[in-house]
Amino acid sequence: MATETALVDVGLLFAAVALAGFLADRIDQSVIPFYIVVGMLLGSNVLGELPALAGSDVTVGGASIVVPEITVGGTDVLTALGGLALTDTDFVVVGAEIGIVLLLFFLGLEFNLDRLLASKNRIGKAGTVDLVVNFGIGLLVGYLVFGGLLAAVLVAGIVYISSSAIITKSLIDLGWIANDEAEPLLGTLVYEDLFIAVYLAIVSALVLGGDDLGAAAGEVAIAVGFIVALLGLVTVGSGFFQRVLAGATTEFVVVRSLGVTILVAGIALALGVSEAVAAFFVGMAFSSTDHVHDLERLLEPLRDAFAAIFFFWIGLVTDPALFSLSVLGTILAAAIVTTPAKAVSGYLGGRIYDLDTRRSIRVGLGMTTRGEFSLIIASLALSGAGTGLETPVADQIYAFSVGYVLVMSVLGTSLMQHSSRIEPVAVPLLEGRFGDSPRASDD
Amino acid sequence: MTIYESDLPGVGKKFEVELEDGERLVIVTHNTGKREVFLKPDADADGDKLFDLSDRLARTVGTILEGAYFQPVQTEQVETMLGDETYLEWYGVTDESDFAGQRLAESNIRERTGVSIVAIQRDDELISPPTPETVIEVGDTLVVIGDREDCAEFEELLGDGYEGE
Repeated sequence: MATETALVDVGLLFAAVALAGFLADRIDQSVIPFYIVVGMLLGSNVLGELPALAGSDVTVGGASIVVPEITVGGTDVLTALGGLALTDTDFVVVGAEIGIVLLLFFLGLEFNLDRLLASKNRIGKAGTVDLVVNFGIGLLVGYLVFGGLLAAVLVAGIVYISSSAIITKSLIDLGWIANDEAEPLLGTLVYEDLFIAVYLAIVSALVLGGDDLGAAAGEVAIAVGFIVALLGLVTVGSGFFQRVLAGATTEFVVVRSLGVTILVAGIALALGVSEAVAAFFVGMAFSSTDHVHDLERLLEPLRDAFAAIFFFWIGLVTDPALFSLSVLGTILAAAIVTTPAKAVSGYLGGRIYDLDTRRSIRVGLGMTTRGEFSLIIASLALSGAGTGLETPVADQIYAFSVGYVLVMSVLGTSLMQHSSRIEPVAVPLLEGRFGDSPRASDD
Repeated sequence: MTIYESDLPGVGKKFEVELEDGERLVIVTHNTGKREVFLKPDADADGDKLFDLSDRLARTVGTILEGAYFQPVQTEQVETMLGDETYLEWYGVTDESDFAGQRLAESNIRERTGVSIVAIQRDDELISPPTPETVIEVGDTLVVIGDREDCAEFEELLGDGYEGE
């Protein structure tokens, strides 16, 4: 019986996610916020509350309504619906975890140190502007709202890191990938990705290490040691990674690469080191082999399926009741402050790449989307509840980042889609102010 | 002509080819193998997407553009299926083939590989059907019927110098 229920639950999960993805695609939006909202709606906090509603008083704007008990054919409709509510079963939790691992594995796989070094000047400058402006503002917002330093660092990460997945997809969908703005956008994302790997390693040690400074320092030491060991493995073991996949059929490529990646990530987690960072380094190790192309082709659908579970799980464990007025206010304030900040730092990044005003504006608009990495930091904050962070603070940071990602992913994609309406207004404004010579425009 | 090459981290590579009149052809090669082709009216303009191709299709189109694809007879392309597992194929005879200069009867091709030679094209002349006395000459094109394995075996018998026609 348990197996049957579990299978139905997983089926329900994927069906709901598929439906949400279909809807998102229909209205040209990123799928991520839709996955999260569906998770929230199907979770115990929304759907699971339905049975309790029957026969109870609900106060809506001063007027009290008694929710009637609706029965069809002898079954209580609300109870039946509530019975469908999904909980964060082991499958969902481990599936979400694999989603994180595969997301970071791909970062490592597509991360090319030589490529980064080849254009280190421009990527370095644009990325540093992006880091200083947005991480700085995030620190400020986080400290003002939550008070603590660790909370501020978490909020800074959530606010700083743009969504590689959504931005890259939008670039391809809009055809910007062929234009000059693609390079500063993707280059800055690479800088952010490298930063997030180091950031996750240190912050997860801090979050899980607890209040005790000595313990936290110990955790950081373990994390750094583990990273150094992995780096060594990446440099020395490239022959090993090459041999792991040599001559393998597609089946073996999938099974062996997962075997290595998930095992290393799992061991890292067991040692109290960020599994995401471990996966990033394993990805980097594979990136120096001849199998990058096969791995990308074969594992991408797998990554997308598990990433969907990850976003669904994020929604599932989000209690809408956590969106108190103060959290909503924080989300709104953060959106109002950080959207222009990203736009400005992106604009400057475009300028560093010698782009004209119009394309630099596009870089700015493109960078505003936040997504999967903010959520990974959010889940990290949640796992630190009770150790490094006080539970209410962790809950609030979590709710903040879920709401923030919902807003910023929709806003960012929309800004990119409607850039043709923003450019005619913004270009003369900026060129007038900074005295730039107007450039030829093709529209 | 200048070609600009740049990396698109996480996506693939981009090539920009300068055309006449300042137009630019932009080819984005995705890591997945997909190619997207855009046309820009000038260097500063946005790209208009023309089409995209799968990896395999892109290679085929590429060889056509290169002028390397069109050849009157090319074994891999002219093979014709007869029924489920029977192929009708063309093979050229080079001087590497050990049966060049032999009569069909002494070459023992059918016994050795299982394929039947149904016709021989020699210059403008078609010998169909060849008799056991017909001598195979260098430069002949043999029209052969057999299943896939037999054809492969026959191709091997043609010798190392065989590269299709």
